[in-house]
Amino acid sequence: MRNILLFISLFLLSACMVTPNIQPSAKVDLTDLQPLPTPSISETPLRVAVAAVISPKGTVESYSGLVNYLGEKTGRPVELVQRRTYMEVNDLLETSEVDLAFVCTSAYIAGQRDFGMELLAAPQVDGGTVYYSYLIVPMESQVRSMAHLKGKVFALTDPISLTGRAYPTTLVTQLGATPETFFKRTFFTYSHDEAIYAVANGLADGAGVDSLIYDYALSRDPALSGKVKIIHISPSFGIPPVVVNPNLRPQIKIELQNLLLDMSNDPVGRDALTAIGVEKFVIINDSSYESVRSLLDGIPLLFGLP
Amino acid sequence: MSQNLLHRFWNIISSVSVRAKILGMALMLILLLGAGVTWQVLHSLTYIVQSQLENESITSARDLAARAADPILLNDLVRLQRLLVETQQNNPDVRYAFILDKNGDILVHTFGAGFPPDLLTANDAGSSEHHHTIILQTNNELIWDTAVPIFNERAGTVRLGLSDARLRNAVQSLTIQLALMIAFVSALGILVATFLTFLLTRPVRELVSATQAVAKGDFSPRLARWADDEFGDLAEAFNAMTTELGNTNEIRQEREELRRQLLEKVIATQEDERRRIARELHDSTSQNLTSLMVGLKNLQDSCSEPNIENQAESLRRVAAQTLEEVHDISMRLRPRILDDLGLAAAMEQLTREWQARHKLPVDLVIHIGQERLPGEIETAIYRIVQESLTNAARYSGARSVSVLVERRGEQVIAIVEDDGRGFAPSLSPNERHLGLAGMRERAELLDGKLTIESWPGAGTSIHVQIPISASSLEEIKGNL
Ligand SMILES: Nc1ncnc2c1ncn2[C@@H]1O[C@H](COP(=O)(O)OP(=O)(O)OP(=O)(O)O)[C@@H](O)[C@H]1O
Ligand SMILES: [Mg+2]
Repeated sequence: MRNILLFISLFLLSACMVTPNIQPSAKVDLTDLQPLPTPSISETPLRVAVAAVISPKGTVESYSGLVNYLGEKTGRPVELVQRRTYMEVNDLLETSEVDLAFVCTSAYIAGQRDFGMELLAAPQVDGGTVYYSYLIVPMESQVRSMAHLKGKVFALTDPISLTGRAYPTTLVTQLGATPETFFKRTFFTYSHDEAIYAVANGLADGAGVDSLIYDYALSRDPALSGKVKIIHISPSFGIPPVVVNPNLRPQIKIELQNLLLDMSNDPVGRDALTAIGVEKFVIINDSSYESVRSLLDGIPLLFGLP
Repeated sequence: MSQNLLHRFWNIISSVSVRAKILGMALMLILLLGAGVTWQVLHSLTYIVQSQLENESITSARDLAARAADPILLNDLVRLQRLLVETQQNNPDVRYAFILDKNGDILVHTFGAGFPPDLLTANDAGSSEHHHTIILQTNNELIWDTAVPIFNERAGTVRLGLSDARLRNAVQSLTIQLALMIAFVSALGILVATFLTFLLTRPVRELVSATQAVAKGDFSPRLARWADDEFGDLAEAFNAMTTELGNTNEIRQEREELRRQLLEKVIATQEDERRRIARELHDSTSQNLTSLMVGLKNLQDSCSEPNIENQAESLRRVAAQTLEEVHDISMRLRPRILDDLGLAAAMEQLTREWQARHKLPVDLVIHIGQERLPGEIETAIYRIVQESLTNAARYSGARSVSVLVERRGEQVIAIVEDDGRGFAPSLSPNERHLGLAGMRERAELLDGKLTIESWPGAGTSIHVQIPISASSLEEIKGNL
């Protein structure tokens, strides 16, 4: 009987001892926690902010040429900084956390007014330095003007976007209403290409978008042209400029300005320009933004700016 | 060595009972099957679990990488941290997750305060790689660590570790369940096997006890036919055999009884005949011889012729000698004294005459009381002692002989001992040697027992013991 019991236990034991045959490639101790080393920064990089007019990944892809070009020419590491909203980029400029920024026109107006954001250059597109706000709707939509969008869903891009929010708002105001009551619902997409996709996919019944980005997006994704259509084009606005923070050392400002203006003369620079859909950079004056400034002044509460 | 082991194994197997064999067989089968199934299940399960863990690790890491790209590019660390927390919440197997920026510095991680230093360098994925998974050994678990580049490593790298602890626990509890199952089935198997062995061995055990009864001469046991199988056939065959044996035994006993009666009759007849001849010799022949002697005496007295007188005298002497011889013969045929005065007197006369004839001292001791013994016992004891003495005289060359006749309660004992050369008693009766066999026959006819103790050079002792049955005692009392 004892033999039998021995047999049983032996068998059960052997059955339980089947363990996975795995060769771990390393051994780590997860309980030994130590403070993280602070990342060492060898050289202060040139920090370039790009307002999120297109998605973060798209921005990296488009601007990497420009970033590399600037890094090569200045001999400094260049860091591309992105933020979700225009306001956050403005904050970075105000606190000197970025040196150079590609901002939206309305962001420039606000920044210039609030902390003296300085113009560096402006991209030239289609031979000019202006752009428009397009009012777009789905291709099959019956809507032909803003009035028809009453009670519909409207996609806004950024809270302080000129083309995506301010201009559509003035259109609604002209109809004697506010966007809050005029539309059934509004939402922010934070980037213009997202707004285009929101309309194309029927998520929104309409949206105001940056003409530069609309054209660029359609050229990259021709399928979009079959899904959306423009029903209204705004008067021309001063193009979104390249700005620097007001505390940037003047020499560097001059150096950067010259670099940008010179880009179209350099083959590598030209490729980088093509990647962001710009012909070349040109000098621009603050006066080019007067019309926008007066338009925004008409709806001061919109931005909640002090 | 192995031969020896095999031998021992065989010894163990063959020495245990049928019950143990059947039990062992059942258990062995259950355990073999159980262990086999358990092994197979665990093996496959472990394999499946492992590949599942690897897949899950890759899927989770890639999902995290896809969702982490935008927050990293937008420097949205709060959302990034929330992503990690959500990932860990959605999958409890996720032991840790962390995200490195493109310089290899840690942006966010799930370890709370501090970070295990070895972990950072343990795994890495190239920018073009889809993923890179390795297995890490920690203190108490295995971790499938997957590194996935985010946005072709332009935004950094996601690292995610999936612990096998939970799945291993599941496998373990399954193992325990299987083991319990096997134990349960084993217990059931033991029960069933015990019942089965009971069914199987019961007829065998009954057969054994019946056989033992038959060996003791009891032919009555009959086996029940428990089942319609080989054991049933065996039981029937056994029953047929015992019936046959019983019948044969009966016939044998009848014959034995017949033989015994015959023998009794023969012996009684022989004794009667001897008694009759002895009486005849005594009453008729002796009387005639005595008359002859008286006549011859008268003739001698009345005749003056010396020649005739002498002749008559010698004839008278012949007659006297013949008378003595007749007396002797009659005495040896059947001493009257045995019938008239009983065993004690007859024994004394027998030993006295034997002593005189063979010139050997006989030490006779008789303790049988005053009461007469049953006639057939007296005759048997007398004849046995007579034959023993004859043999002693003929073969032993003894210098003294002792005879003891004693009544001990309900039996009579006689012992005849000599100090002669002894012999090796073979109990098989021989055609030419009927003495010893006859002695035994006489004793056994009266339900008595005769033992011969003798070995060469150590004398001979004949020991006989005959019970006095109650009925024969009654008979004697009635006669008196
Ligand atoms: N007291 C004795 N001492 C030595 N040998 C003996 C004695 N009694 C018997 N024997 C041996 O045993 C044998 C068998 O004895 P048993 O009396 O059976 O036969 P028997 O005397 O030869 O023939 P029967 O008695 O038939 O005339 C004898 O031949 C003898 O050799
Ligand atoms: Mg004899």
